[in-house]
This record gives sequence, C-alpha cells and structure tokens, in this order.
Amino acid sequence: MKAVVVKAVADLRRRRLQAAVIFLTVLFAMAAGTTAMTLMSQTRDPYQIAFEKQRGAHLQVAFNPTTDRHLLGNTPALIGAAASGGPYPASNIQFRFGDRKFYVDAVGRDNPGGAVEVLSVTSGRWPLANDEIVLTRSFSELNKISVGDRIKVTSVAHTPTLTVVGEAVDIDEGSADLSSQRAWMLPAAVPALATADSSFLLMDYRFSSDPTSSQLRASLDRLKASLPPGSVSGSLNYILIRSIFNITNQILTGVLVAFSVFALAATVAIVATLVTGIVISAYREIGIMRAVGFTPYQVVEVFALQIVIPALAACLVGVVAGTLASQPLLANSSHALGLAYTPTFSIGLDFLILAGGLLVVAVAATVPAMRAGLLKPIVAITKASGPRGAGGRTLRRAAARVRLPRPVVLGIGDAFARPLRAILTLVTVLLGVATVVVAVGLPRSFELINNSETGAGNYQVMVTRSSAYPDSDVMRLLNAQPETARVVAFGGQNVIVPGVGDPVNTHLFRGDSSRLGYMVVAGRWYSAPGEVVAPAALMHDAHLKIGDTFTGTANGQPLQLRLVGETYDINNLGHSLFMDIATMGLVTPAVEPFVYDVTLTSGSDVSTYVRRVAAAEPDLIDVHASDTSTIAPVKIIDLVLLILAGVLALIGVGGVFNTLLLNTRERIRDTATLKALGMSPRQVMVMVSASAALLALVGGLVAMPAGLVLHHILNDVISSSAGNDTPPAAYRVFSALELVLIPLLGVVVAIAAALIPGRWAARTNVVEVLHAE
Amino acid sequence: MTELVRLADVTKVYQGGITGALNGVSVTVEKGEFTAIMGPSGSGKSTMLNLVAGLDRPTSGSVSVSGTDLGKLGEAGLARFRRDQIGFVFQFFYLLPNLTALENVLIPAQLKGNASTERGRELLATLGIEEVADRYPARLSGGQQQRVAVARALINNPTLLLADEPTGALDTHSGEQVMELLGGLHREGQTILLVTHDAKLATRHAARVISVMDGKIVDDAHLESPERAPSEVIRVHGEEASR
Repeated sequence: MKAVVVKAVADLRRRRLQAAVIFLTVLFAMAAGTTAMTLMSQTRDPYQIAFEKQRGAHLQVAFNPTTDRHLLGNTPALIGAAASGGPYPASNIQFRFGDRKFYVDAVGRDNPGGAVEVLSVTSGRWPLANDEIVLTRSFSELNKISVGDRIKVTSVAHTPTLTVVGEAVDIDEGSADLSSQRAWMLPAAVPALATADSSFLLMDYRFSSDPTSSQLRASLDRLKASLPPGSVSGSLNYILIRSIFNITNQILTGVLVAFSVFALAATVAIVATLVTGIVISAYREIGIMRAVGFTPYQVVEVFALQIVIPALAACLVGVVAGTLASQPLLANSSHALGLAYTPTFSIGLDFLILAGGLLVVAVAATVPAMRAGLLKPIVAITKASGPRGAGGRTLRRAAARVRLPRPVVLGIGDAFARPLRAILTLVTVLLGVATVVVAVGLPRSFELINNSETGAGNYQVMVTRSSAYPDSDVMRLLNAQPETARVVAFGGQNVIVPGVGDPVNTHLFRGDSSRLGYMVVAGRWYSAPGEVVAPAALMHDAHLKIGDTFTGTANGQPLQLRLVGETYDINNLGHSLFMDIATMGLVTPAVEPFVYDVTLTSGSDVSTYVRRVAAAEPDLIDVHASDTSTIAPVKIIDLVLLILAGVLALIGVGGVFNTLLLNTRERIRDTATLKALGMSPRQVMVMVSASAALLALVGGLVAMPAGLVLHHILNDVISSSAGNDTPPAAYRVFSALELVLIPLLGVVVAIAAALIPGRWAARTNVVEVLHAE
Repeated sequence: MTELVRLADVTKVYQGGITGALNGVSVTVEKGEFTAIMGPSGSGKSTMLNLVAGLDRPTSGSVSVSGTDLGKLGEAGLARFRRDQIGFVFQFFYLLPNLTALENVLIPAQLKGNASTERGRELLATLGIEEVADRYPARLSGGQQQRVAVARALINNPTLLLADEPTGALDTHSGEQVMELLGGLHREGQTILLVTHDAKLATRHAARVISVMDGKIVDDAHLESPERAPSEVIRVHGEEASR
C-alpha cells in the first residue's frame, strides 16, 4: 500500500495544475450541495421548534365583531381544539410614523402568554396603558421603528398618539416583507381605534396534533355551519404561514440542489476525462510499474488516488464552506421565528455528504483507471503512450473545404480527436452555459412578475385613505390634479369559495384594472360584473377551470361568479380573487375602495405630485410613489443564482481547460513537428484556441435550448411553490440577439481558457520533444 | 558556387552539460551541395542540423542561412524562415497521424498560405506514391511514410533540404530507395544536408562528407564522385568501406 501512496503522491506533485482543477470543481460542487442539504434538513426544524415553543395556533379565525362571544367560547369544543385563545377584539388601523403611513391589525390582549399563540417579547415590554402598543419585530426592523417611538393613528378621527413599548415575535404570522402584520394593545384600547368596517374578533385554535389541510377545512366548515351566516370573515392556518416562512429557503434549496447535481455531474465529466488522459499518456510508466511488481489493482489505485487525494481535500473544505454558507440563511430563519440563533448543522449529514461526494469522484476516477490496470505489461512498456485519438476527420475536412486557415482546421479536428473526451467536455460546457442562461433569465422573469405585482410602469402613485376620509373626497382631490391621467381604485373583502378552507381575499377594482399590469396566464381579464380572475392555487383548490361558474359567499350572501381568466398573484400563495367592485356591490352595496392607483400624464414629476396631494389631508390619506423594488427573498435568490452561475461557468471553463491541457500534452510531438515545419507560435495558439472555440460553440449551442428548458422548469417550480402558474411572458425573457450572444460569449471565455495550454504548446521546444521521442 | 549555410565558431552547451554538444564549429555549405554530416551517436551532428533549421539556438557563435543571421530572428521569424527556406526529413517521419498522406504533404504550404493540391499530388507522383495520397500514415509502410515526409519537405520548394537519419527507421531496401530519391533531388539542383551515421550511405550519395566527433569537425572531405568513397573518410569511423 505504501508504494501505491508514494507513487500516487509523486504523480500528484507532477500534475499540480490538474490537481488544482479537480480541487476547485469538487470544492464548488460540494459547497453548493452542502448548503442545499443543510438548508433542506434544518429549515423545517426551527419552525417546528418555534411553533411548539410559542404554542402556535393551527387555525386562526376572524369573526364578525357582532358575533356573540358566548357562541365563540363554545367553538373550541365544537371543532375539537385542545386549546384556544380569544376572542380578542381587533381592528385594522392606519398610523403615521414620520412622513410614512402603515396598516396593522391591532389586537387587544392583556398579556403575551396564554394557551395558544404565546408572543415572544424580544425587546421592551407589554403595554400597560391604552396609549401603548407592541409591534412585531419583523415590522419594526423592516420599517425602522424602535421601542420608544411615537406613532399617530390616522384611521380614526381623533388621531390618538401611541408609544411603541415593545417588539414581539409572533409564530402565527408571516414576515413583514411578505405578510400583513399585527400589533398588540390592551383590550380596552382597541374600541377607541375601531371603525365599523375594520373591526373583528380573533380566535386562535390549537389541536393536540398537527391537523391536515382537509381537517382544517372541515373545522372551518363546522364553524361556519354552527354560527350565523357571515360570522366567519377570515381565517389563517399554520400550513400557509409555515410555507411563507420557508418559501425563500424552499426555493433556494431547490435551486441549490439542482445546481449542485449539475456541479457534481460536471466534476464527474472532468475527472473521467482527466484520468483517461493520464492513462493514455502514461503507457510506458504503467508498463514499468507492472514490471517492478505493481498488481493491476494497485495500478488502478495509483491513478484513482491521484484524484481522490485532492478531491478529499476539496470535500473537507467544501462541506465546511457549504455549512458556513447556509448559516446566514438559517440565522435569518431563526431570527424571523424569534429563536436564538445557534449554529445549525448535522455532523452526520455533513459526513454523509462528504462520503457521498468522495464516492462519486472515486467511482468517476476508478472506472477509466481500470484501463490502466487491464493493460498488458509488454504492450504498455513498448508503447510510449496509448493510441492517439483518430476522430475529428470529418470536421477537419469540412473546415478545410470552407478554406479556413490550416491552424484552425487542425484545431477543429483536435477538438473531437477523442470523441468521449469531447463529449465529457461538452457536458461541462453545457452545464455552465445552461446555468448562465438560467441565472440571466430567472431574475428577468422575477422582475416581470414583480412589476406586475407592483404596477411598475403602469401607475406611479398609490394613495390610501383612512375610513375617516370619504372615497368621493379622494376622487375629487385626485381628479383636481392636472397630472392625474387615470385612477383605478380598489378595496377588498373576503369571499368564501366552495372547496377552499380559508375565506379568500378579493381585490375589488373600480376603473380600468386591466391596465394595472397584472399578468394574465390564461383566458382573459374580467370585463363585466360577475366575472372574476384567480391565480392557479385557488383554481386548483376550488376545482375550477376557466369558464366555470360558481357561487361564493360574501357577508353570508351568495354571490354568482364566473371565472374568465387565470392571473398571477403571490399574496396568500395564490389564494385571491380579482373582480369589479360592482360585482361585490350586488351583495354588499356599502363596499368602497380605499386604495387608489394613480397613473400620471407623461413627464409628470412624481415627487411633486405626491407632496402636493399628501399636503391636502396629511392625517387622512397616505400618498407615496408606488414601490417597485424587489422583495428581499427574490434578491437573495437572484444573488444565489448569480453565484451558482459563476461557479458552474468556472467549472465549464475548467472542463475546457482540462481537455485542452490533455490534448496539447498528448499532441506535443505533433505540435513540435508542425513547428519544425514552420508553424509559428501564433499559429499554434490559433490551433489550440480553435479547439477550445469549437468545443465551447457546440456546447453553447446545445446548452442554449437546454438552459431555456431549465429556465422554463425552474420558473414553473418557483411559481408553483407560490401557488401560481408561470405567465407566458415570464418565459420569453431573452432576445434573439442574446440567444446568439450567450453561446458566443462562451466561445470567448473558452478561448481565454485556452491561453495557458496554447502558450504552453506554442513554447514547445522542438528539439527536446523530438529528441525525447 | 554561392554560400548557403555558414556556421561561425558555433558552440552549443545543453543545460547541465559538462561538455558541449558542439565546440567552436565553423563550416560553410554551398548552394547545390549534397553534404553528409557523419559521426557516432552524441557527436553533435543532429545538433548542427537543428541549429541550421533554426530549431535550436547556439550558445555562442552564429548561424546564417541564405545570408540571414538566425540569431536575429524571433520565434515567429524562425517559423517563417523554416516555412520558406527549409525542408526537414526526420528519422521517424513525424507524419501527423490524423492527416492523410496528401494532407501531411500540404501542411507546410498551408501554413504559408499557398497550398496547391495539384502540387502535392505531383510530388507524391514524382516520389512514386501517388496511390497513397488519401491514406492515413498508420496504413503506410515505413518507406512510404518517409517518401511522404520527403514530399512534405519539398512542398515549399525549400532552399535547403535537411535530412536527419532519414533511413534510420527503414529496412535496407527502403533506405536505399529514400537515398536514391535524395540523390535524384540533388541532381536536380536541391541543396541537401544529410545527417547519418551510415558511412556507406553517405559516401554513396553525398559529394561532401563532414565528420563530427565530440562536438568538433574532425574531417571535411569533398569527394570527386559520390560513387567513390575516399578511404580516409571511412577511417574516421573505424569502418571499412565495402560497396
């Protein structure tokens, strides 16, 4: 065994450059894989831990404020809940902090404890007076509001000022960047802030074991059936909240898993190419090894060990790096869940990843190394190297026919001289370019979707009124502004849809909502009262397809609706309805819009407009330029994609580099001969570069459609995890020019990778090489 | 006669070498000459040829071919020089295995940018191997491969044809054929510098035999007729001429 190790280490020293290529590719693959696996294994646990620790509610139900509290007190037993909290008086309030206005659901609670939904107060204290309020930490951090700050409630006429006395983490709501937020006051403080259309009673239910979606739906149905019609105005379950908490990590995990598999596949291709090349160039050495007593098995071991040693080092570093890379994301999750962050990893899992990665590399190295073991000693010793690759003739002839310069023709032939090597190289190029395609395409798809959600380019100003300021006054104010080109107003009300457990948020528009930029996935936007548009998740849960008619319930009254189109909406993970406000007016005549999307005439100054309109009623309306910025989770996903693309592209370049190195070393005698015949160093460089360029071009041409397919699939996976189908426009994010330029960019990069082997070949000492032969 | 090659006080010491491969060699070769450089292994004869081809550079002294001081040329310049002025025939042929015989022949012309397939085929025909034009080297005999190598060396009409042990890897019959071929080329005016350790071959075809030993020229004999070898040339190597 010692001889095997000594020989392998000696060979490794001689092949430092190739060892470096192996080290880096394995390192990248292992780091990406470990990050993915760690996230996957550790993300669910923190939520579960926090959910248990804070005795999270499996089901939260908002009831009409007029519902009999005695009846509500019976509901836990009615649905078999093991514990309950509430009814808590609650009201949606608007408050002003600085020049910004915010909405929260103010919930009246005496203390943060209880049998369900224990609130973890992370700073400050619980309110002791009616003018004190506690916000969620997520909300405070997002909006830079601290304990001690004073906020002015603007949704009621007397505009009381409250002091923020604490921050709390609530396991029963999503983070502030993805969900609406609660705030807590003493129960006695809530009535003073309540208005007729924004009050509700909140009940929390906790079951002895985690209920399924259908069990939750059945519980809600029982509640609706046992209470007067219209009593249940909204609900929220832990499955949805868990999904909101985990969605970023889920998407990231999916992306990371996919690309770490890519990286590992590319590594296998590079390792196999490398070992095959080493064996071919070391025939004489293999013969000598056999002659001095190495067994065939030991010969295989020597070649495999040369790969396994740098791979082991890379695996060790990669697993540690991957575990570390996953920690900020896990820390973020813990922080959001109100858990103290402790480095989270599993030594067992890390060991499994390390062993798995090493096994894959070892197999990739051993299979081609077996060729060395199977060589007959006399054949090996009498031949300096293995048979030369004889492929590439057809290509070379084709290139010669179109009268390309001879160095280019020779280079093109060399690229495919060994078809298997060429194919393995193409695999690495393919994976690299395909990843780049995805990394370029997905952020664009995200941006398109983000623009549709934020109305970017379709309206510039968003005005929100408090209930103390009538709709007609807002419209009068807006229409009086010379820059106002169009106003689309909207409100909201929950509708019970058959087959869907929780009441569904509706977007009730007044005005031409089709021009707000919402994406239509299929069918069309609604155009008449009674018509609705919905995202995929709602359609799926309600078993609806475009053209179907169904009866919803709003305010306890039936509402005939016809689904005419599918749209994209990530709110509540695809559980929403879009319709004209007149549709709801049939059963709730009093419903009015409270948000106004204003499109300005071309060339208008948005900030001037915002300032002027806001000054009209500073306390009663919130006016701001529409926020088109991308949400934080998407930014994280974009960044991770960019890093992965860089890694995979580097691995692709490594693959080309490795193959060129092997090719030039194998063809050193031919290169020396060509130099003796008059080939200049520049022509040698051109020859090697032509090899690289062809490999990159073919790889790129194959990779482009592969990348587009992958982009398509990932779009679908990500959309689906947010409860949507991908809008067709999100697939079409590449211009024809880019489809050509990306493979060409690959060619440029490959030519750059060819510089080192090219220079090495160009500097071939003819005399030394031919003398050695 | 016009001087074609000049080696002036050329010394070549290889890295780590205690003694030089060439020690102060000075010699000239006239245009149209068929000169053989003879000597035992390690005598420095191949080094001389490599220096004349611009494949290697002298440690000191100068090498000129057609009035061009090779020491003043860079790598690219030397490549152009070889392309334009030199034809090289190697002991082990060094045909490119992935190219057919004709493609091998055309390579130097293609590197120069003026390849003519007709010219390549003519050369193969002249050398009697027209039928192997489209075959790959692996399917050719040693003699055929060396003829292809000669054709490749001639494709650019070189001023100087260099042959390094061109018969060394061939059987006697094939070797004779190749030497006859070189003799014929010389008769047509081609300047040839041949390296060999075979005295019989050298004296049979060359008009001038330079004997090298331990990096020095120990004899430089102009033969009256290549068909008659002077005994002193043969004695240098301690061999007995017997034709």
